[in-house]
Amino acid sequence: MQKEILVVLKDAEEKDFLTPHLLPVSELVHMVEIGDLSQAMAHFEESRKVPALIIISTRLYPEGNPGLVATLEARYPGSEILLVSSSSDPFPPLQPLIRDNVRHLVINPEKNGVFDEEPELSLFSLAIRKISEGLSLTIRDYLRPDTYIHEIRVSSSDQKEEIIARLEGVINGDSSEIELLRQKGALLADEMLENAIYDAPRKEDSASLYKKGKKRRVPLKENIAFRFGFDGETLAMEVEDGWGSLSPKVVLEHFAKNQDDFELFDEAGGRGLFILWRFLDHIHIHINPGRQTVVGGHVKLVTAENLIEKKGFHITTSCAV
Amino acid sequence: MVANFNIELIEDNNFDLCVLRGNIDIHAEKYLQELPGKVKTGKIKLDFSEVGRINSMGIGLLLRCFKKIRDEKEAEVILSGLNTMHTMLFKTTGVFLIAKSDK
Repeated sequence: MQKEILVVLKDAEEKDFLTPHLLPVSELVHMVEIGDLSQAMAHFEESRKVPALIIISTRLYPEGNPGLVATLEARYPGSEILLVSSSSDPFPPLQPLIRDNVRHLVINPEKNGVFDEEPELSLFSLAIRKISEGLSLTIRDYLRPDTYIHEIRVSSSDQKEEIIARLEGVINGDSSEIELLRQKGALLADEMLENAIYDAPRKEDSASLYKKGKKRRVPLKENIAFRFGFDGETLAMEVEDGWGSLSPKVVLEHFAKNQDDFELFDEAGGRGLFILWRFLDHIHIHINPGRQTVVGGHVKLVTAENLIEKKGFHITTSCAV
Repeated sequence: MVANFNIELIEDNNFDLCVLRGNIDIHAEKYLQELPGKVKTGKIKLDFSEVGRINSMGIGLLLRCFKKIRDEKEAEVILSGLNTMHTMLFKTTGVFLIAKSDK
């Protein structure tokens, strides 16, 4: 069954701007300016439909209309909220997003083509399709269809350097961009593996089970797998663990805390996740509480030499958290 | 790149000079905890040209070390030999709020 999408924008100008980027899903989309929101909600009620996804511009929320998401969530409790923002606008403060359980942010929906020659296949349209179908992004979504995905099952902490070397080995070339992509890939793999091996395992009271730096054997039931692929333009990677110990709220709190307060020294503070967010072009996190966490994303060769300042995220769960 | 992290301290009349070698992660903890105690002058210069990967744990250790040098030894921390990745990482995590690059 196709699911409806409600898009709430500031004004006609923003509506005109976003319309072409919603063409792939135009038959599902109800696009309204904020002044016509009540009318749009009445339309949904009359037709007894509920939007599976609500897209809101950061020109409206959280700064202009701080209660907007709470109002929409009260009316449509099962709907996912996706924020869209332009990199020329201020980055939205994360605290209101944490409060209102907003888990998806796309920066520059008009850009970020997944493949350079197919700009219409943007991260935005990919995110819309995935969210409205109740699916999470995977590294396969970022790579050309014929790209080989390497998968390594982790059975010991000693494998970390070997896995990183294997990842570096698939990024061939001598240019400065390639070298930086290789270094970024190595850092990202390091953080992902440390996260899965040492941060994910938690006791019932959420205390860490293992100390970083201590060698440990990883039992099969922890199900730690590292996957990566490189198609010549995009490096995509993700790590999966069988703990499911993160929550969307905790992830966003880590992002917010590290963004706002650099001098925090507490290592329980999620600096690793923050680095993953900052160094990936786009991060995706899927959590099945108590069962599985997948943390991944991609970096493009063209962005390797700098860090994109404003980043989105995509956090999904297998059930309500 | 050396396999295990180490620090070579070279004494100078005007400032302390340290050459760091290897990846900076949890295994650098002992060295970076001891470093503030070895600072003798009002300025310490740290050479990163032989440093490889620095992960989040390494960033935490560097922040703690530099803060201790700044606050307890009242010394200035200067970083040299940083590559592009180190610079991006230090900008992102606030290291440059405590230590300066010599560039």
